[in-house]
Amino acid sequence: MPEINVTPLGAGQDVGRSCILVSIGGKNIMLDCGMHMGYNDDRRFPDFSYITQNGRLTDFLDCVIISHFHLDHCGALPYMSEMVGYDGPIYMTHPTKAICPILLEDFRKITVDKKGETNFFTSQMIKDCMKKVVPLNLHQTVQVDDELEIKAYYAGHVLGAAMVHIKVGSESVVYTGDYNMTPDRHLGAAWIDKCRPDILISESTYATTIRDSKRCRERDFLKKVHESIERGGKVLIPVFALGRAQELCILLETFWERMNLKAPIYFSTGLTEKANHYYKLFITWTNQKIRKTFVQRNMFEFKHIKAFDRSYADNPGPMVVFATPGMLHAGQSLQIFKKWAGNEKNMVIMPGYCVQGTIGHKILNGQRKLEMEGRATLDVKLQVEYMSFSAHADAKGIMQLIRMAEPRNMLLVHGEAVKMEFLKGKIEQEFSIDCYMPANGETATITTNPSVPVDISLSLLKREMALGGSLPDPKKPRTMHGTLIMKENSLKLVSSEQALKELGLNEHQLRFTCRVQLQDPHSDPDTLHRIYTHLKSVLKGYTIQHLPDGTVMVESIVIKVSSSAEDSNAKVLLLSWSYQDEDLGSFLSTLLKKGLPSGLC
Amino acid sequence: MDRECVSLLPRVCEVLAASGSSLPDDTSLEKLLDWFTEVTKAGTSLLESCPCLLEFISSVVHNTTLDPSILSFTLRLSGLVAVTEDAFTVLQQSSVLDLVFNLQHWQEAGLWEDPCIRIGWIQGLRTMMQHPKALGFFVQADFLKPLLQLQTDKSLFVASAANQMLAHVLLSCQSVSSVESNGVDEEGEDVGRSSGSIADLEYPAITVETNQDYAAVVTAISECLKKSLVPRKNSQLHQSLQILKLLALLLAQTRAPLWEKLLQMVADSVYELLAAGYSQLVLPLMDVILAAHSDLVHTAQSARVLLLPLDIITGLNLLTTTADEQQFSMVEQLKNKTSCISMICVCLTNTPQITLTAADCLPCPPVLIVTAVLSLLRLCSGDFSSSSSSSSSCRDVSRNIIGSSKVQKCALEALIALSGSPGVEVKLPEVVTLLVQYLDNPHSDPTVLHKSYQALVRWMSVCSDLSSITDQHRQDLLQVATKRSCDIRWEVRDSTVEFLGRLAGVSVVQTTAEEVSDASVALLGGCCFTTPLLRAALQDPESYVRASAISALAQTLAASWQQGAALTQEHTEIVNQLLEVLSRDTEGFARRAVVRYFIAWLSSRSSHSSPPPLASSSLLMPSVRSVLSRGSADLDWEVKVHTLELAELLLHEAFSGQRGYMKGNPTQTHPYAVIPDTLHTRTHNEEDVVGELNSLVQWGVVSALLSGLVDCDRPVALRACRLLMTLREVVCPLSLGALDATAAMAMVAKVTCELPGCGWAREIRKMLATKAKDAERGCSVGEVVDCDDCGEAGQEAASGGGQTPCVSVCEVLRSLDLDERLDVLTRSSDHVHNSPFSLLQDILTASSAHSQPDTQQEVIVDCY
Repeated sequence: MPEINVTPLGAGQDVGRSCILVSIGGKNIMLDCGMHMGYNDDRRFPDFSYITQNGRLTDFLDCVIISHFHLDHCGALPYMSEMVGYDGPIYMTHPTKAICPILLEDFRKITVDKKGETNFFTSQMIKDCMKKVVPLNLHQTVQVDDELEIKAYYAGHVLGAAMVHIKVGSESVVYTGDYNMTPDRHLGAAWIDKCRPDILISESTYATTIRDSKRCRERDFLKKVHESIERGGKVLIPVFALGRAQELCILLETFWERMNLKAPIYFSTGLTEKANHYYKLFITWTNQKIRKTFVQRNMFEFKHIKAFDRSYADNPGPMVVFATPGMLHAGQSLQIFKKWAGNEKNMVIMPGYCVQGTIGHKILNGQRKLEMEGRATLDVKLQVEYMSFSAHADAKGIMQLIRMAEPRNMLLVHGEAVKMEFLKGKIEQEFSIDCYMPANGETATITTNPSVPVDISLSLLKREMALGGSLPDPKKPRTMHGTLIMKENSLKLVSSEQALKELGLNEHQLRFTCRVQLQDPHSDPDTLHRIYTHLKSVLKGYTIQHLPDGTVMVESIVIKVSSSAEDSNAKVLLLSWSYQDEDLGSFLSTLLKKGLPSGLC
Repeated sequence: MDRECVSLLPRVCEVLAASGSSLPDDTSLEKLLDWFTEVTKAGTSLLESCPCLLEFISSVVHNTTLDPSILSFTLRLSGLVAVTEDAFTVLQQSSVLDLVFNLQHWQEAGLWEDPCIRIGWIQGLRTMMQHPKALGFFVQADFLKPLLQLQTDKSLFVASAANQMLAHVLLSCQSVSSVESNGVDEEGEDVGRSSGSIADLEYPAITVETNQDYAAVVTAISECLKKSLVPRKNSQLHQSLQILKLLALLLAQTRAPLWEKLLQMVADSVYELLAAGYSQLVLPLMDVILAAHSDLVHTAQSARVLLLPLDIITGLNLLTTTADEQQFSMVEQLKNKTSCISMICVCLTNTPQITLTAADCLPCPPVLIVTAVLSLLRLCSGDFSSSSSSSSSCRDVSRNIIGSSKVQKCALEALIALSGSPGVEVKLPEVVTLLVQYLDNPHSDPTVLHKSYQALVRWMSVCSDLSSITDQHRQDLLQVATKRSCDIRWEVRDSTVEFLGRLAGVSVVQTTAEEVSDASVALLGGCCFTTPLLRAALQDPESYVRASAISALAQTLAASWQQGAALTQEHTEIVNQLLEVLSRDTEGFARRAVVRYFIAWLSSRSSHSSPPPLASSSLLMPSVRSVLSRGSADLDWEVKVHTLELAELLLHEAFSGQRGYMKGNPTQTHPYAVIPDTLHTRTHNEEDVVGELNSLVQWGVVSALLSGLVDCDRPVALRACRLLMTLREVVCPLSLGALDATAAMAMVAKVTCELPGCGWAREIRKMLATKAKDAERGCSVGEVVDCDDCGEAGQEAASGGGQTPCVSVCEVLRSLDLDERLDVLTRSSDHVHNSPFSLLQDILTASSAHSQPDTQQEVIVDCY
């Protein structure tokens, strides 16, 4: 039996770097190639030596597919393609291809900025890697090779995020990447065909959570910023180059407009310009509302948000500043944090997860005294808030997607083991399908139905169509009758005449016969005539003949009458029919067993 | 070990031993082990310095309700602790060791199912196996059996760790046995060294009994290899795969006599596998063959195996004789498209390696292999005209590779690698013709085009004699480069632009007059063709292409800079375009490339002492000034670092040879280091210093350095700080002090620079003001210092005011506490946050935050 194997190298029962190997129909595919920000050595990347020890991944992998631009999904890509060695195709959507190098470059700069960083990819490597990327359009089937095809679907989550349907022959897998089933301020909700894949590999970050609507979190965020501004404080929001930052900018911009606020909002390092460029370029990927209003007013042209200069940090009075990087581990955001940390009126809002060792991690855990370089200690008096705005499907959303795609099996990744276990139970109960949750390095194996390709002769197809059938449509499977023959290792469905001709065989007729006894006190020819009359009245619309050779024929069924030697009233009827008239033959035998009605002449 | 850390460790152990759930950060335990490993490597005994660890291990192994990640950590930690014989003995005596590695203990607790426990068990054992006692423990406990089972574990990570461990055991046993059997210590050390991982092994006297045990282990492993290599049923394929991986690992690491013994033992099975043709096993099998190819017999054999597919597809007689049977089975395998492509690729990837082996092992000369690769490339693009394969089945096979960009890329890679083989130069015209065809082919994939360009550059640089290149070649290449530079795909445009630049960097000999020129001139006619193309590429919508165009321009114009060519209208226009890019371009790549362009220009000019008055370089200095001011205000810190590099060049040019001037990092240069003579060629006097300093101020070097110093990005600040210290050593060394100043020094002190109202200058003014206040406070205490001048700089600066204030460069340099700043910058914030102390602290605070969920908001790990 054919099998599909799924082995996570990352994201198996954890929310780390995603990297999932799928082997389907003899093809090997890597889904996402993420990085773990928590390490500063090779452990930040998936260990590709599990795939091959000789470092030549091209020999093994048929393609790599990246779901979206977040670093835990694409951060290891240049390392894999340029440092380990992969020369094959990499697929991602157009927006991901445009934005991914910006984030990789941003992260490279943050990383090499640190002391003692070695073995990290260079700008040139990022570029060379991006040159290997083949862009995908939504809903367009891309043929990777003769047998392997992929198709991307809208996933929400971030600009350009996609789910992908992978198909080899009749086997298929859907990988969701990160997705969101409810539309948000600038992105729509995920959607997929009822494609009935053998496996649906879904993220499960919020497997047990029914998330409060994003609106609530946004309201909460605005309230906190507003309060801080009102009391004359400064608000720092550390962000990564692109993505969440734009979302929050739109939020603040509209709020400032509505409330007629005057406090300045700054965005550091000129990123808005670049981000706006991409959001404009990929307007079709945003949600309907943004697309509609785009003609009158561009949502991404901010009136209130201005470029930041480092001297502004010392200006008196309230302000809001977006600064990179997102975990407060270097650069501008850290510099501003150090300046503002001592004042309890100020606030820092961490809009995302922070890894161990970063200032962001420390303050979120409640550390209030931070050791700084030069033996100085920093007293953290400002207010620290954590607000996750990331758009993942919650338990309800995941179930909704299963209903949409109708998979035969389910496989959970990108979530915590305990939470997955809960969702797994729920899925198995509600949909009666198997749900897998392999740990990293473990392989989930699913057997699929074997697919046997068969050629159909043109004449048979034409005949079927002549019988009123519609044109063949792969989406609407239906039954066809014919003779299956095997010739030169291939199977063919042909008409029986053609089969006989091709195989050089003669036709054999197969007839069924049966005896029916009945009492009828008449001569044999009379009885036969009575039968003829009876059938004439019962079987309207059939060809019934009384033949001179002493037989009655109904279609191909022959009926003869003979008397028993002992009792001339006991008649024996002989019925014989060909296999085509099997139904009619058995009907007649049953009918005649009941005897002939008395009123017949 | 840090005393602060030692004091925190007992509490951390307590927290870990009591936590029922995993830590919120999954990296903490890994990092903790890293730290312990580091400490152990430094020669510190973990048990001695942290006695709490023994208690921790023993309490954790008894508490099987703990989170598996903590149990796994403890297994690994135990192995690390027991890495020395003494600690091993302590652990054994306290009967902790037996329980830690007792399989049954974990199985009964139902924990063995968890892959992280199995992996912890293997890794713990492996770390520990550095001394004979541990090896004895392993043998006596009969761990080999479960280990062999784990080799086919359902978890890839466990299986791989088991494989590594088996290799480690085999190598350890082997070295022990060889010590014993040879009775020569040296031999044992030699084997130990060869395997790397057990380099520290030094086995003392071993009893005959244990030696027999080791021999039994070696035999058991090799028996297993032999037995399980060939799968008897399909379900055993996975096992074969694992055995092949182990074999490749062993053959790469072992040496005689084990190496030979292994090879002898498995040779038949390997051939059987080869003949069986399992498509899933082709790649690992090739790895084994390659690992085995280090001896001559096998080299010849593996060369034949590897060249066979190429021989069949191209029909070129690479192998003079081949057994019909072998040929037939290979043709059958190649008929399947998927396996054909993968076989050909493996063959092509390893072909260059084959040509490196001794000529007498090669079945054919390298030039024939190049011919075969070229022929294959033609087949890929559907050109069967040159194919000499006769049989129809071979033609069927060839059809499998038509249009396969995977094969094309592998073949082009092979062509690149083969360029250096002896005797292949004669193929140059054929190679160029084919590559130009590839570049011209509208169906070529962008990645194939990229590789074709690379191959072309490579062959040009290896075959420096271009006499065989015809005018037709040149014309075709010109056409195709022009066409591709306007390709619709940015990837192709970028590869083309990169190619034009690289070609300019390759020097070749042309037909006539043996004149040396660059390949760009020889092939494309040089600047007059490339420069307009590159200038057009400066307007490219894709920033990558713009950046490549700028670098390529620098490479193309390098020759004219060195020759001191005359200033042309074109030069002026290019410079203006580049300055425009620097101030307007939204992408860092392009802006970085601009600064690098000027660095290249400036350094090539420096090699010329006096440029002719109307040379292109007369444009250089004014533009450098703009580059410095724009570059140091850039948003990208790498542009700023490059700008500082430019500043450094100017600094070097101004002061090389001057007393006190040290190129590079002043703190790293040894005070008695010999300074190269070239640095002393120019002698300066104080007037020169004044003049040079004035020019540096005017060019904006000093402003660039000062703005860099207060930058929030560490690399910028660090570099600026070092350069400022260099400058200070030359113009106003601290050692002289203000009172020692000669008249000339007083002149130097009068050189001032502006501190405008923008961000960085405000920051500098503030620093000066603070310093001035400190100094005043110092005065009030009664020190007799003439504060007139030193106060002036600060006061003036701090006052700000309407006019841009000027400050003395010397005063600024002296007042900025550069040494202290350098100290802080060198250590960086990472030093604080990546330290073991920070880690321990994070574990403690995370656990206390975790235990009071009400007061703390839940931080969900999601994405970044």
